[in-house]
Amino acid sequence: MDIDRARLIATARRAALLAVPVVFLTIFFAWPVAAIIHRGIGAEGFRTVVNDHRLREVAWFTVWQATVSTLLTLVVALPGAYVLSRYRFAGRSVVRALVTVPFVLPTVVVGAAFTRVLPHRFDHTVWAILIAHVFFNYAVVVRVVGGLWANLDPRLDEGAAVLGAPRWRSLLEVDLPLLAPAIAAAGAIVFLFTFTSFGVILLLGGPRHSTLEVEIYRQTAQLLDLQVAAALALVQLVAVVTLLLVTTRLQGRLAVQRRLRRREEAAARVRTTGQRLLLLANFTVMAILLGVPLLSLVERSFSVPGGGYGLAWYRSLASTGSSGLFVPPTEAIRNSLVFAATATLIATVIGGLASIAIGGRHTRLWLDVGLMLPLGVSAVTIGFGFLITLNRPPLDLRAKAVLIPIAQALVALPFVVRSVVPVLRSIDDRLREAAAVLGASPSRTWREIDLPLVSRALAVGAGFAFAISLGEFGATVFVARPDTPTLPIAIFRLLGRPGAANYGQAMAMATILMVLTVACVLVFERARIGDLGDF
Amino acid sequence: MLTVEGVAVTFGEHTALDGVDLAVPDGALVAVLGPSGSGKSTLLRAIAGLEPLTRGRVAWDGDDLAGVPPHKRRFGLMFQDYALFPHKDVAGNVAFGLRMQGRRPEEVRARVTEVLALVDLTGFEHRSVTTLSGGEQQRVALARALAPEPRLLMLDEPLGALDRTLRERLTTDLEELLHGIGMTSIYVTHDHAEAREIGDQLVVMRAGKIEQMGSPDDVVAHPANEFVASFVGAR
Repeated sequence: MDIDRARLIATARRAALLAVPVVFLTIFFAWPVAAIIHRGIGAEGFRTVVNDHRLREVAWFTVWQATVSTLLTLVVALPGAYVLSRYRFAGRSVVRALVTVPFVLPTVVVGAAFTRVLPHRFDHTVWAILIAHVFFNYAVVVRVVGGLWANLDPRLDEGAAVLGAPRWRSLLEVDLPLLAPAIAAAGAIVFLFTFTSFGVILLLGGPRHSTLEVEIYRQTAQLLDLQVAAALALVQLVAVVTLLLVTTRLQGRLAVQRRLRRREEAAARVRTTGQRLLLLANFTVMAILLGVPLLSLVERSFSVPGGGYGLAWYRSLASTGSSGLFVPPTEAIRNSLVFAATATLIATVIGGLASIAIGGRHTRLWLDVGLMLPLGVSAVTIGFGFLITLNRPPLDLRAKAVLIPIAQALVALPFVVRSVVPVLRSIDDRLREAAAVLGASPSRTWREIDLPLVSRALAVGAGFAFAISLGEFGATVFVARPDTPTLPIAIFRLLGRPGAANYGQAMAMATILMVLTVACVLVFERARIGDLGDF
Repeated sequence: MLTVEGVAVTFGEHTALDGVDLAVPDGALVAVLGPSGSGKSTLLRAIAGLEPLTRGRVAWDGDDLAGVPPHKRRFGLMFQDYALFPHKDVAGNVAFGLRMQGRRPEEVRARVTEVLALVDLTGFEHRSVTTLSGGEQQRVALARALAPEPRLLMLDEPLGALDRTLRERLTTDLEELLHGIGMTSIYVTHDHAEAREIGDQLVVMRAGKIEQMGSPDDVVAHPANEFVASFVGAR
């Protein structure tokens, strides 16, 4: 067969598929990031950052809070991962699903929930930030570590027991070493998320606590010092890319491990009183940490002035009335839905094309990392980059609402890619060969084999993209105009204003946002094939 | 008639096939026997066009197949662990090759029913392939390969994934079925009993080369060397 010609055709096809994503990412990602680098290197801002005592402290606090949050999350969530992966009990799958809910919640909702539930002396303390971070990332540890733990061969522990090791010794000397790659990968992901945490710190940290992300926003929006903001964004960019490379490597190692695992699950029945107490203790932690804040948010949204419960706050959403917004809050709901739908469309088309182009066997690492960058390069950086590039000729989009869904699509894009590529890669090559031998041409094979399997993964990715766009805050806050707020922006503004009415409305909108997010993730989860996909 | 002339396939440093010559006359059933790693599967993949040749040629009725992609060769290949399409049901799998030929839906349906009856899976049309037992999956894979009536049917260790008792029972079934339809076939296995029962012709391979070929009785009675003798169980 003419191999050279076939290779040429394959290359041409890949180039055609990649054209749209590459153009899109060049304009809306590479250009803004390049502008940040250009401005950031400009000496003035950089000198200010290095010499300013307070900004140095911000950088230190960013690292410190991420480290402590990561360690705390691991300490709190590892026992939970153990219980949920190694024991069989009624309702286990429900508990697992419920535990995952916080992870998909918008930061603004979480921030709102914690302003409600934490005692007043926690207001604007670092504790509020740390607790909210544990709340958010509990699911990461349960999913990443528990996923491997559930399939760890129980005969290893049995073997250790026969050799005289009590349970705690075999946990320490058998389970933990084998789980080390998963724990490291989970830790790296949590560190990355908390390092770039924005909404939680802005809402709960108060004026005294600032991370790089928050500082970029404050320098831009409040102090109007774009030079310093760009320098900070550059520091953030370098730190995050380094972190991302480490995370990717750790996850790569985990993938090897995952292949070695046994098929069936190794969960045991609960027998002794000790085990029952262990389960009870973990359920209590989950209920208090994860359940109480969300329930109290919902409770507050229904409690009306003068006592009792009712729909007063929900009804008030339809009018501008006393609210601190320029438009009635229902308008924000409508905006959010329209923007999120548009963002989902963009992210699904771009992400789908890119996944198909890079999903083949011979993938270039730089393409992979390039598509993942928006995930690491924080939402705030994207929003800030938009602000300094797309507001003048040749592309003046500042006044255009279309910037919002584009920014949201960029943030959601990696989730689409990460839902589709693993599925594409997992398609056994022999299925394609079988189709070819049975008379299917390459394009027909693609239509009959790849497409049906991919479209389901694409649906999962679209669901994620929609949920993320709905709750997106960091990038949107830079590009949304006062008269086109989204739900998270409206909640943020209302929380920043005094008065019971604003607070009640914020709670009602946070509840609506929570319900919308959870519902759409649940709907699209149904399309998932087995455990494939990275999230 | 299939002719394989001086075919070599290399993967980097490793030589999987090293100058293989083979002729399969119409209607013949050739059993290829050899230990794992002897190049049996690679030979089938090279004939199907799935593996590019380093040297040599594969021809059908004298026409070189070099420029013909796998989907235009009208050969059938039953994969070692079946490679059934997980997103299609039994009928969808069996109908696949027929649909690729552009046959009319009612014709496809009739042929699917017919082939499923042949492999004793009547009524399994709408079962999901992931819920089938190993033996049932094996028969679906066979039905899928048979349905489009390929001019050459290749079977790669078709019973390899099954347990011993089932394998012995199915060997007889398969032998009767293949001889019954009289399709030109190549049957790859590492089990000498299976090879001797099924093949009219026996080809013994080692390290990418053919050690000996001939009728099963002949090979067993007059093995060319020590390796063939021990491998076909002559001594």
